[in-house]
Amino acid sequence: MRRRLLAEPVAGPLRFVVFVMYAVPLLWIILTSLKSPADVIGSQSSFLFEPTFDAYVTALQNVGLYTAMQQSLVIATGTMVLVLAIAIPAGYGLARVDSRITTVVLGLLIVLQMMPQTANVIPLFQLFGQWGLLDTNLGLIIADSALLTPFAILLLRPFFRSVPTALEEAAAIDGSSVVRTFFSVVLPLARNGIATTGTLIFLLAWGEFLYAVNFFLTPINYPLSALLASQVSAFGINWPGLMALAVITSIPILILFLFTYRLLREGLTLGAVK
Amino acid sequence: MKRHSVSRPRRALATGAVLAAGALALAACTPSASENGGTADPGTPSTSQTISVWHYFSDENQVQILEDYKEIFESANGGVTVENVFVPYDQLNPRLISSAASGSGPDVVVFNGADAGTLALGGALAPMTGYWDSFADAGQFPDSVVHRLDGEVYAAQGYVNLLGLWYNAEILNEIGVEPPTTLDELNDAMDAAVAAGYAGITLSGLPNSQGEWQAYPWLTAFGFDYADPQVEPLVDAFTMVQRWTESGALTREAVTWDQTVPFQTFAAGGVAFAENGNWQQGTAASTAGFEYGVVPLPIGSSGQVYLGGEGQAIGAFSANPDLAWQYLEQTYFSYDGGVIAADLVGSIPSRLDAAGDDVVTSNSLLDAFATSIANNGGNYPAPAVPAEAVADQQLEVGQIWSAVIGGQLSPEDAAQQMVDLLAGLL
Amino acid sequence: MRGGRTPGTARLSYESRKRRTQLLFVAPAVVFLAAFAVFPIIQLFRMSVSDVRVSNLGSDWQFVGLENVVRNLGQGAFGGVVVNTLLFVAIVTTIGLIGGLAVAILLAKSGRWSATILALLVFVWALPPVVNGSVWKFLLGTQGLINSVLLDLGLIDSAVPFLFDDRIALLSVAMVNAWVVIPFNALVFRASIISIPAEAFEAARVDGASRWQEIRFITIPAVRPTSLVLFVLTVVYGFRSFDFIYVMTFGGPGTATTTLPFLGYVQAFIRFDFGLGSATAVIAVLMVAVLAVIYSRSVRREEIG
Repeated sequence: MRRRLLAEPVAGPLRFVVFVMYAVPLLWIILTSLKSPADVIGSQSSFLFEPTFDAYVTALQNVGLYTAMQQSLVIATGTMVLVLAIAIPAGYGLARVDSRITTVVLGLLIVLQMMPQTANVIPLFQLFGQWGLLDTNLGLIIADSALLTPFAILLLRPFFRSVPTALEEAAAIDGSSVVRTFFSVVLPLARNGIATTGTLIFLLAWGEFLYAVNFFLTPINYPLSALLASQVSAFGINWPGLMALAVITSIPILILFLFTYRLLREGLTLGAVK
Repeated sequence: MKRHSVSRPRRALATGAVLAAGALALAACTPSASENGGTADPGTPSTSQTISVWHYFSDENQVQILEDYKEIFESANGGVTVENVFVPYDQLNPRLISSAASGSGPDVVVFNGADAGTLALGGALAPMTGYWDSFADAGQFPDSVVHRLDGEVYAAQGYVNLLGLWYNAEILNEIGVEPPTTLDELNDAMDAAVAAGYAGITLSGLPNSQGEWQAYPWLTAFGFDYADPQVEPLVDAFTMVQRWTESGALTREAVTWDQTVPFQTFAAGGVAFAENGNWQQGTAASTAGFEYGVVPLPIGSSGQVYLGGEGQAIGAFSANPDLAWQYLEQTYFSYDGGVIAADLVGSIPSRLDAAGDDVVTSNSLLDAFATSIANNGGNYPAPAVPAEAVADQQLEVGQIWSAVIGGQLSPEDAAQQMVDLLAGLL
Repeated sequence: MRGGRTPGTARLSYESRKRRTQLLFVAPAVVFLAAFAVFPIIQLFRMSVSDVRVSNLGSDWQFVGLENVVRNLGQGAFGGVVVNTLLFVAIVTTIGLIGGLAVAILLAKSGRWSATILALLVFVWALPPVVNGSVWKFLLGTQGLINSVLLDLGLIDSAVPFLFDDRIALLSVAMVNAWVVIPFNALVFRASIISIPAEAFEAARVDGASRWQEIRFITIPAVRPTSLVLFVLTVVYGFRSFDFIYVMTFGGPGTATTTLPFLGYVQAFIRFDFGLGSATAVIAVLMVAVLAVIYSRSVRREEIG
């Protein structure tokens, strides 16, 4: 360890700076979650306070927490699968076809990406009302997917671009069809991008809140993100409660990330063999 | 070779299809509510005796009020179920309005009373004039808590929340002043507090309706009136506030404060006064490590304090408005209902009889607020502001209030700008 | 990056067949987005040229042409809001992209440190804006950690008014937004960096290239396509994000931190003037549309030329 740090006189300290920049706010979140509401303002920049687990006890005693966690899991997974199923082929198609259509579609995707989410709520509410999708997980997954698909396509396209066409052409000479080449050659090579995009989509869907509170008519269906919102009341924010819930709801995220991180690392070594 | 190549992609495509189908099946199989939790859609007309109550409360004690009301109503009316539906505060109005635009909504709404006009215009509330006129106890309610639009009653407030002047008795003792009863006394007390090394006052300068709500008492103290907006009283009020920020009595940081932070700052000690509400009783009791008290805001005879709090109304698309009214009549608008609210969260019952109950009169803090209602209580929003302009007026006045505290506008510019803006709105 | 194509006669029919199949790949996305994303856009544009208030949201919208735009421009503060938006976007994009790339390069090598920091970054990025916004509101407060540290170190004499001075507040909010964007950009940049074949670096090392030269001549060219799309995504984020402003300053003091998306939100969902709010959103969309055209063109130029 010491030798490696010495070998990287610049990178080591810089990494530490990055670490501090993100660890301090996180530490503050954890400290606040352990404070009584009185201490939040009273001991803002000090570490001297009497820790209490009240906020966690309250959060964990809430029976709704477990239903909400299940809801979040279903919604985030469903959204991730649906978005990837649509965006992967689209990203590939747009990476390979050079025509005016590509230009137009890319431009439209950016405009879609630019749509304020708040502006979608009312039209989608009407649409879902007609189609009986209100108050269902399917409706929410569709809404979240419609929101995130343009983003996923834009993000995936450069990863498909960087797969050399020579490999595809070689496969074609061997008689492989376009579709087969896509699955056997292109997808494996683009997996870093796909894993990253998938992770990001999952996290975004996990945190999505505006659609959830508008399209679920009954609070029992609310996912975790909506529980977090309940800590913000008419008169102010319950900080310890908010921070404790933030910590609790982020733990599944951490687990997911550690899982995909392994995937990414394996991707690196496999890529080196190629 | 060619034929061989067809089968693999098919399988691959099939895998993709299975994945997608799996996702959809996953999505479809888990809406847990409709199976175990009563009515799935409070918006659909149903014949069952269920009434849905939309609200934005998440605080434990506030939620307890709703639970108590639910119990009262359910036990008095066999076979009726009350379903309390929580909607986050920021989302309640948008959701009521977008539901109304597509023809649905709850049976009963508990909302920020100031938004009654907006919600009524948005078609989210049903007129309840008929019920109100035949309500035997209607006379118990002061006119300022009944929300009317175009001659129809749309909502009323079972209890009110308002601002008072909280003081740190220990600091006042140390600097040797009594709780102020006039603006001059308040300013002198603050100067003395600053000289002794304390902060003078905390309040909210957020550029939105919360800021406007906190600004109103000070503006009216100098004679400002929305019915006839004049520059001079505003200049006086803004000059006073900027004197506070210049002397250090009030931190300019107040422009980022909602109403919770300033009170917690006050409760942490070192501040002589706080302009804050009766709902902070619980926080004060649990947090403040010093003697404290409340007096009415010292804003003279012209000064007004908004009578805020939640409005209660019948949803425009309620399938059973009669039952919804019964709910309101037996809970929010009843004597016991008022006492419950006073007892649990320290709200002042609107009903004159309930406001005279021991719960209120035996509590010196609540008593100060009750006195303030009698002397300075004013309609929220101000009656001179037309319903369709309320949201604009609150926001823009809040922004000017924020700019004055932040020191971006001089009192003269701010006052002129505000009068010009109001001329376009009123 | 790729070898140019040499269309032979035999390949041509294959090429065109291939192209048609590849275009079909886009079809599901087109159908899905047409069903669920196009209707809201049409409604937004319709609203922006109509007088839609709370009272007629569900019924007939009266066409008023450009009146909403004119009303927006007529407000004295609108010019300032546009300037705020551009400044905000410029700060978020510059710091977000450079910071993201730097972090990605620092963390590209697998290792326990990299994994820990990366996990931390993603963890923080995934937290809801209300949480991150509240944290920074406290850290940047007068009594907050940053001011306390700076005061203790003797670097400043009095607390910096990070969030309530009209000249500093916008900068503070933009920096916090950039801070949130960096993990996202870093993650995507990193995925693109670790896809660079290891031989490229080995060859460079054999030639005696320094670490800096490796970055300059291998890493940065390799992430060009990714950085182009991240540039667009970050700019778009800057043009539509308002959560942090909402939590940290509510556009204040006065209107010092009001940007177009925040203004549009306030107009539509606090003032319930849906027409005006939609017009503001459309103005922002059009500003980005210019960027979209430049992006798609430069993509084409870069990839074909």
